[in-house]
Amino acid sequence: MVEALGDVLAGPLHPPSPDGIAALRAELDDAARASTVVGGWSADEPLRLSKHLVTGLLRCPRRALGEDQGTSDEIIVGWVVDAAAKLATVSPRRTITVDVAVAFLTALGDSTVADHLADLGSAAARLKAEAAMRIDRLAAAGLAGIDPGWWPRVEDPVRVALGGGAVTVAGRMDVLLGGPPTGRPGVILEVKGGRWYDGMRADGHLYALMVALRDGEVPASAVTIVSDGTSHVERIRPALLQHAAERLDEAMGIAARLAAGEPPAMHPGAHCQHCPVRPDCPVGRAWRPGTAEDAS
Amino acid sequence: MTVDDPVGAADRLRHRVAGGIAGAGVPAGDVYVGWGAALEAATCPPRYRAQGEHGWAFPGWSPPLAAGACGRAALAHHIARADLAGRPPALPMPLDAIRGWMRSLRTPHESAAGPPVERSSVGDWICETWEAGDSATLAAVAAVAGRWLAGFVRVLGWPLPAQLTLLNAPGPAAVPAPSWRPDRASPVTVACGADARLGRVTGAGGFVLAVHRVTTGDDGALRDRAAFEAAAGALGIGVAPASILVTAGDTGERVTAPVDQQLLALGAERIVAVVTQRAVAAQQGFDPTDATPSPACRHCDHVADCPPGQAWMRVAERWRGGLPVAPPVRAAL
Repeated sequence: MVEALGDVLAGPLHPPSPDGIAALRAELDDAARASTVVGGWSADEPLRLSKHLVTGLLRCPRRALGEDQGTSDEIIVGWVVDAAAKLATVSPRRTITVDVAVAFLTALGDSTVADHLADLGSAAARLKAEAAMRIDRLAAAGLAGIDPGWWPRVEDPVRVALGGGAVTVAGRMDVLLGGPPTGRPGVILEVKGGRWYDGMRADGHLYALMVALRDGEVPASAVTIVSDGTSHVERIRPALLQHAAERLDEAMGIAARLAAGEPPAMHPGAHCQHCPVRPDCPVGRAWRPGTAEDAS
Repeated sequence: MTVDDPVGAADRLRHRVAGGIAGAGVPAGDVYVGWGAALEAATCPPRYRAQGEHGWAFPGWSPPLAAGACGRAALAHHIARADLAGRPPALPMPLDAIRGWMRSLRTPHESAAGPPVERSSVGDWICETWEAGDSATLAAVAAVAGRWLAGFVRVLGWPLPAQLTLLNAPGPAAVPAPSWRPDRASPVTVACGADARLGRVTGAGGFVLAVHRVTTGDDGALRDRAAFEAAAGALGIGVAPASILVTAGDTGERVTAPVDQQLLALGAERIVAVVTQRAVAAQQGFDPTDATPSPACRHCDHVADCPPGQAWMRVAERWRGGLPVAPPVRAAL
């Protein structure tokens, strides 16, 4: 049987013991200090890592270091879906439409989506229709009507300083349920606006590690809710936390070498298909040639 | 140097700050000195000066700005309801507490069994938003204020510490935040941004001011924040606090900064600097000579007219968050 959010919250939930958290922090502090020797960061000018950057550095440093490419239609649709999920969590009685989700984002001080749609004019209709379809698929995920005892909160911030503050890892969880002081175990929800792929799991693992370091309690589950209808439930185990810590360690090491001047490695893969720097990347173009531009 | 005489220390601080303000020159218009202004004036004086009346003024309520005010008000309302019922307050459910407070604002006549609802600026804004049917904004307020409340309670623990009094929130379970003016005619108001006080105010001091930061990334150095709130609190209350408890939602930190003469002096410096910069702005407007470039230059509206900022950006543009921004691959090969 495929588990969904409702099954997770119905329990039983058995979070791992917090006994290993101190050791994980010590390992990461050591790794951060070792990387800082090479990278040259300091508490005043630290390495600032996010979930996207950790994944990016491990996947393809060349792309991770690329200039910010701005917004695309796909990113905008993802943001609308993300906002709709958060709105469903804090305002469960509402039927969530694209317009309401965009208004919610604007009220929160982010007018990027509203501006993008306005700039598109009548062409925005296609984008809004796509977003509406994905929001409809999210409706079954169980985000609305969560028992208030779970303390649903959206965009809960988490920040971990390592190596005396020379490395910071920061993020905002889409939705966080439970955890101290609720008396219930923590459950992390990550909402994804695209299609499910296995690499999405890493974000939940990293947040589980960061919440454990922040709260001193290990969350019980990380649930990834995807707008293609997938709900992926991950019971947090010590091995997953260790794996997340190892990824973070490796990302810090790569970042240190890049900061020291090493040219960024180029790792081709499926991510090349949507990579904004692909036109300038011979390795990426060679991985899947075929378009006229690639052949040029 | 420790504070042996909390009342005398506050009195001396008042004279010191009043003297500093008097010597700062004459600012144009009213000057509200809160932590936000102090941080901006200290971070880059030209950038602060360039904001002008529009930038210095309160921009009006919005969900992000109202998070703390609504979170405190809702928590105060929750505690007051329990007090009225003669029972200890249960752990508040953040979203329910926010919605309950909003409902009480809308229907005070139906709240006979609840605590009296006091008028407040943020409460009036909530009512206006409700009447306008702006449900998206109300949902955004619930999201951000619920997050504030949850973080505050998570970091301080539940039950809240003994003798905790919420500050700067309307309602019978809270008291106004300390504020101070050098004299009645002064255009300067110094406002303490503490969220709570632990302990009673007596001439012996001994009380603690608590400041909750949802995130730490944009709030400046912890010691600077503690110094400002210590000085502003001492000015407003007339007694120097024993310490400042600075908490952070994103890191879960609870850091106690003991209040000593150095901390008060640093806070006084920050307060006077705001008035000084406003006076300079009245005379000179934007002048980048004393700019202190930082990552804030990336988003500064005045960087095009600021040589120090431009010089900093020429280097900073090649770095982002401790990593180099990659050149085009062809150039790197």
